[in-house]
Amino acid sequence: MNTKITLISSRAFHITALNENALLVSYGNIIDTAINEKIIALHEQLTAAPFGGMIESVPAYASLAVFYDTLIIKQQQTNITSAFDFVQQRVLQLISKIEVQTDIRINTIISIPVYYNGEDLNDVACLHGLSVEELIQIHTTATYRVYMTGFLPGFAYMGTVDERIATARKELPRLCVPAGSVGIAGAQTGIYPVDSPGGWQLIGKTPLKIFDQTKKDPCLLKAGDQVKFVSITKTEFEKRNEYQHH
Amino acid sequence: MSISIIKPGICSAVQDLGRTGYRSLGIGPGGVMDFFAASVANYLVGNDENTAVIEMHFPAATIAFQSDVCISISGADFAAHINDIPVPLYQPLYITNGDLLSFNKNISGARAYLAIGGGMTTDQWLGSYSTNVKVQAGGFKGRLLQKDDVISLNAVAVTKRSKNFSIAPSVIESIYAKENLICCITGPEYQLINTKSENIFSNTSFVISNHSDRMGYRLQGDALSLINSAELVSSAVGFGTIQLLPNGQLIVLMADHQTTGGYPRIAAVITADLPKLAQVRVNTAIKFKLLPLSKAEEILLSMHQTINEIKKGCQNFYAAH
Repeated sequence: MNTKITLISSRAFHITALNENALLVSYGNIIDTAINEKIIALHEQLTAAPFGGMIESVPAYASLAVFYDTLIIKQQQTNITSAFDFVQQRVLQLISKIEVQTDIRINTIISIPVYYNGEDLNDVACLHGLSVEELIQIHTTATYRVYMTGFLPGFAYMGTVDERIATARKELPRLCVPAGSVGIAGAQTGIYPVDSPGGWQLIGKTPLKIFDQTKKDPCLLKAGDQVKFVSITKTEFEKRNEYQHH
Repeated sequence: MSISIIKPGICSAVQDLGRTGYRSLGIGPGGVMDFFAASVANYLVGNDENTAVIEMHFPAATIAFQSDVCISISGADFAAHINDIPVPLYQPLYITNGDLLSFNKNISGARAYLAIGGGMTTDQWLGSYSTNVKVQAGGFKGRLLQKDDVISLNAVAVTKRSKNFSIAPSVIESIYAKENLICCITGPEYQLINTKSENIFSNTSFVISNHSDRMGYRLQGDALSLINSAELVSSAVGFGTIQLLPNGQLIVLMADHQTTGGYPRIAAVITADLPKLAQVRVNTAIKFKLLPLSKAEEILLSMHQTINEIKKGCQNFYAAH
């Protein structure tokens, strides 16, 4: 990350229990860069300086779940009404700091090569009255933001897809989408990190391993990253293919 | 020192208490479905609670031992036999090289655990021995156990004690009693369901359908509905999260749940009732009871107290004998 842009914004949030070992901060049902940046900032600060009893936090589009060990908190904090209240106070303090000023990070753009030959490529282009070349051009022009990781290990939810190619999920999900497949679901785009059932419209395949369980840092993409897709040929795909079984 | 899988059974796998710290990468904790049974099985053989165990469903595995070890079996009662002689649950069992462990009847519960004194030599991935089938990592080669698999055991001296001990049935009963009543707290989207649905949730039964597995239990019951239907952006979920699907039916997320989801989270099963839920069989009806969060915290503490007493009891036995 290099440049920083300061953003001042404030928005209502809600705090609820996800269960009796996890608290959820939610800024509502919204996909918004500034809010997502705030969520990631909260996640990073909590991860860098966890409170006693904290287990981990999970950032999503507009929410953050904080998992904790109720037992440890109750043992460490004798003057609290509940473990939830204790965690809530900690999170509120952090939010009040972050509310004042959040830096939007301008991350280095990660380039993902894609061989555009997905099974749904023609259908998606057709649906929008575009040629395949136009669709590829639109998909490769935008810079996408990784809003969150979820669904599968290393599955990055990226947006926002140009409305000219945004396409609803398939009505019948496929039983097996191969790892490396690049898809579109509504205004989101993503890459399947492992073979999995899935309903995204498949437009291409990347030769890069998005998820590699043998690596200490197994995920190529993380929340807050910037991504650009680059169209490659079949020959180039085969040359760079990191998946052994293809 | 090893064991061999003579018959694999259904979905037998190496699991521990799960993988923490990687949810933000989309990697869920996984681990055993019934943390109580697995922890207790470990204490009984002198292990710590997070030692990897073998989780089995019915039909369960048939396992041959190539060493003298102390084992224990907990959770579901699948009529465990050693060399065709019935053996009890929740008690240390001394195995001699050449013994055969088998299970021949589905008596009660849904998942049995086998703990082995000293533990097994399996694969650790991101700090856990739990099997993540999706990415084929952790546990035994990242997969379910298969016929002829040979799993090495960690060498540990076995002394057969002159006395034996077991966990009092009343203690086990306190965890699994009222098996059809599952306590929960309201979830982040509880207020999105209408009054009629609130009634359905708290006052009617739901049957655990055949389409239930380690990822989640799909329930069948009266359909619930939202005040306003809305597409939700994805957000975190946990073990025990109860989601409302678009068709009005509920799903309870279990050990192998995804880290995030987009369906309304109307409730969450309290942690203390997860072992009980893990042992409820498919086609059984359950009822939900909503509790305040403070009560859920209290119950969790008292369950940990029970677990701690069992742990101390086992440690004391091994210290004294």
